[in-house]
Amino acid sequence: MRYEIRVEGTMSETLTRAFPEMEHVTMSGETVLFGPVVDEAHLYGLLNRCLSLGLRVVEMRRLPE
Amino acid sequence: MAARDDSTRGPAVGYADPLGEPFLRTRFAVPARPATFVRRPRLTAHLDQALDTPLTMVNGAAGAGKTLLVADWAAGLGQPVAWLTNEAGDQGPGMFWAYVLHALHTAGTPLPAGIGGSPEGIRMVDHRLLARLADELNGRDRPAILVLDEFDRLAAPETAEQLEFVLHHAGRGLRLILVTRTEPLLPLHRYRAAAAMTEIRNQELAFTPEEAADLLARHGLRLPAHAARALVERTGGWAAGLRLSALAAQQSTDPETYLKEFEAGHSTIADFLLAEVVGRQPPETQDLLLRVSVLDRFGPELAEALTGRPDAGPLLAGLCRQNAFVEDLGHSWYRLHPLFGEILGVHLRARSPGLEPELHRRAARWLRAHGAVPDALAHGAAAADWECTAGILVDDLAIGRLLTGLRADDLTRLFSGMGPEATGAAVDLVRAARALSEHDLDHGLAHLGRAEESLPPGATTAAGRLSCVLLESLAARLTGSPDRAEQAVSEAARLRREVPAHLLARHPELTALLQTHLGSARVWAGHFDEARAALTEVADLPGDAVTELPREDCLGHLALIDYFDGRPDRAESRALAATDATRHCGGRPFPGAGLGQLVLAAVAVDRDELGRARALLAEAAEYGPGPGVPDPVTEAYRALVTGRLHLALGDPAAAAHAADPAVRTQVTSPWAEANAALAAAAVLLAEGRPGRAAEVLDGIERPGGPVCAAEVAWARLAAGHREEAVETAGRLCTEGRTGLGVTVRATLVRARAAAEAGDAGTARKLLARALLEARRDRLRRPFLDAGPGIRRLLDTPPLHGLAAGWLYGDGPGADSPPLLVEELSGREREVLGRLAQMMSTQEIAADLYVSVNTVKTHLKSIYRKLGVGRRGDAVRRARERGLL
Repeated sequence: MRYEIRVEGTMSETLTRAFPEMEHVTMSGETVLFGPVVDEAHLYGLLNRCLSLGLRVVEMRRLPE
Repeated sequence: MAARDDSTRGPAVGYADPLGEPFLRTRFAVPARPATFVRRPRLTAHLDQALDTPLTMVNGAAGAGKTLLVADWAAGLGQPVAWLTNEAGDQGPGMFWAYVLHALHTAGTPLPAGIGGSPEGIRMVDHRLLARLADELNGRDRPAILVLDEFDRLAAPETAEQLEFVLHHAGRGLRLILVTRTEPLLPLHRYRAAAAMTEIRNQELAFTPEEAADLLARHGLRLPAHAARALVERTGGWAAGLRLSALAAQQSTDPETYLKEFEAGHSTIADFLLAEVVGRQPPETQDLLLRVSVLDRFGPELAEALTGRPDAGPLLAGLCRQNAFVEDLGHSWYRLHPLFGEILGVHLRARSPGLEPELHRRAARWLRAHGAVPDALAHGAAAADWECTAGILVDDLAIGRLLTGLRADDLTRLFSGMGPEATGAAVDLVRAARALSEHDLDHGLAHLGRAEESLPPGATTAAGRLSCVLLESLAARLTGSPDRAEQAVSEAARLRREVPAHLLARHPELTALLQTHLGSARVWAGHFDEARAALTEVADLPGDAVTELPREDCLGHLALIDYFDGRPDRAESRALAATDATRHCGGRPFPGAGLGQLVLAAVAVDRDELGRARALLAEAAEYGPGPGVPDPVTEAYRALVTGRLHLALGDPAAAAHAADPAVRTQVTSPWAEANAALAAAAVLLAEGRPGRAAEVLDGIERPGGPVCAAEVAWARLAAGHREEAVETAGRLCTEGRTGLGVTVRATLVRARAAAEAGDAGTARKLLARALLEARRDRLRRPFLDAGPGIRRLLDTPPLHGLAAGWLYGDGPGADSPPLLVEELSGREREVLGRLAQMMSTQEIAADLYVSVNTVKTHLKSIYRKLGVGRRGDAVRRARERGLL
């Protein structure tokens, strides 16, 4: 499954490296992280990573295959 | 406790946690507020409600200012607050509760003797402990206030459940305050619905423009109201964002313009500002900050080990003064603000890829050199440097901790990432220990052999070689080779002189395990006296989490020896002690797990309590052999008891089948062999082939214990070898040091021989003596098996009186269990059913919506009606009588 996580603000290049498994793109003041998510545990892991890095998650959704 | 350097893991307080490591004082300290802290009365006023509700949750994003808010409130409260900062990592519930109890203790909350304050009180998280803690808190006039900071770091889901249990049952005696980033797994809706919860969430934690202006003013920045409002809007009132922007602005030449530009930007706040603030630090400070991001806490020396420069002290003090990133934990220990630490970690990996493992390795080395073994192990594993990590464990003589103690599962997990590419003696030892603990003999022995080969003699390898002999003793036990065990133990005695005394003192499990395995191997070989000597040493050890499993195992073995000596009463009380501990500790399986239940089952068969015996065998089977090689003593004894139960049920063929234990061992066990032969002879006797039975019995070289000898004598008599049987029986009766299990059986042999010889007078006299003795312990089995001739004699007047009331269960006598004279009520049955599910009194009360005292009343009448005194017996008795 693939997910997209929208984060408030433009993430620096450095910070995006905390999500090496995801691709990213910035648009209108938000950063979109997207890519394959292995399972639920991975998904919660990603959210936790956002939490611990002080990122504000604006939206998260599963992408159609 | 060994004296420890204050500079290793942060200052430690007295007492030791369940691992024998000192508690970390920093985790119980209410965090200090920095000079720039802004007190916010609207929030402290809200928090005051925490005194009126059982549960309070302060819930917000990282860096929302949760901890400092609660710390400030707690400091101004004027009454003691138990504070515990949770740490991520490998602690299970056992460690958590040990720390909670210590936090309460530190805050002056009196706890009942035996829990808290001493490591002996905390084995695993035993439900009784939680119930007693709740009970104790419930009785307080003034509630204890417990703050659990960084509650989201607790991974074990059962912790939340246990916390809920304590909170629920502590009633008005506990006020729990959780500080957390995520919603805990407590039934919050229930607390909310009952208005029993105070909640402060992210929204409320956000700074107002006025508060933000106050914060900036404390950083020497004066902002007009509209600018403050804009900044609050940009940061969402986020404390960490405001603090960082203040720091960044402070360092710029034109703070106001800087803030304006920041407001207009779109970057993620913490990341951007942190990069700004760090970027303006001198290079050596930047380097220091990035490198220490791999550590949970650090002092100057440890930081210097990571940077390789001798300037960490002043740099850290400077950072702390500026109130930038670094928090002072007191006693020259610091930590990074968690949020900033995470982001710095990302920067470290980006700026110096590949450096992180090296930093972990350096940290592991420094921590190891300073005796902080658990932390060193964690960093070694994080560096995936398995040779170093395994080396730390082995050099600390802690290999036994993989086999017993609270830490065993954590350590196993720690090494689970170790791949086949790792090499070295220590690595092989860890592999051997893991394999042997899972009873995987083939791999265990292969790894052990490789480790032994690569350890040359010499003082530097003494710890490694001592670890080898410890594992040797386990291998010897599992393969049933007493010689190998003896050799391992005498080798250990020699090696002990080569390792530092303080290491040995810190690892009582090492000796306990060696003696246990030696004792078990001796029991296997039928050397009961020598076995008893080794086992008693361990059984007499004071209670301690790391020696708990070997102690239980030894008690089980001692019970088995008592049984073979013909002392069912003593066997029973020892076995109960062994099973009591297993039941309450749960924990990982140990080779001899279930042995206690097996001895109880054997005693039950002897007393002709067959339903109970069957229940106990089933209970023992729960601990039964998992995958891998079974423990020879336990398996052979299981076979023996199962065989006896079948015989008692009148099925000799099933008995003979069951009596053959499926164990492959180096030497044969006399008692296991004798038992198999006895079962085979019983089949032959039942088939009417006494000659063939006598041949089988002749094949028994050593009976292995007096009870076996007496049984062999009985079988010989039945097979027609009267003279030999009587001679053996006579010898057994006069030996003196044997118990009634032996004398009763031997006397019966003589009585039957006399009866067969036509001397009814002597037979009666002997039978009277046997009855008098057996009655004390309700030893029925030998009489029930004694055949029609003896039975007829027992029915005649003088003997009939001696047998009445206990032997045939034909009426309530002084020693027999009373019959169920009164039916259990419906409610009592409900309580009993929950008792059988191992629920505590408190749990039953909660489940049935009645008070604890009501449950206690029900329990008392259940005990009375069933004629028992303990809950375990009540359940067993109820099963026997088909009430469950």
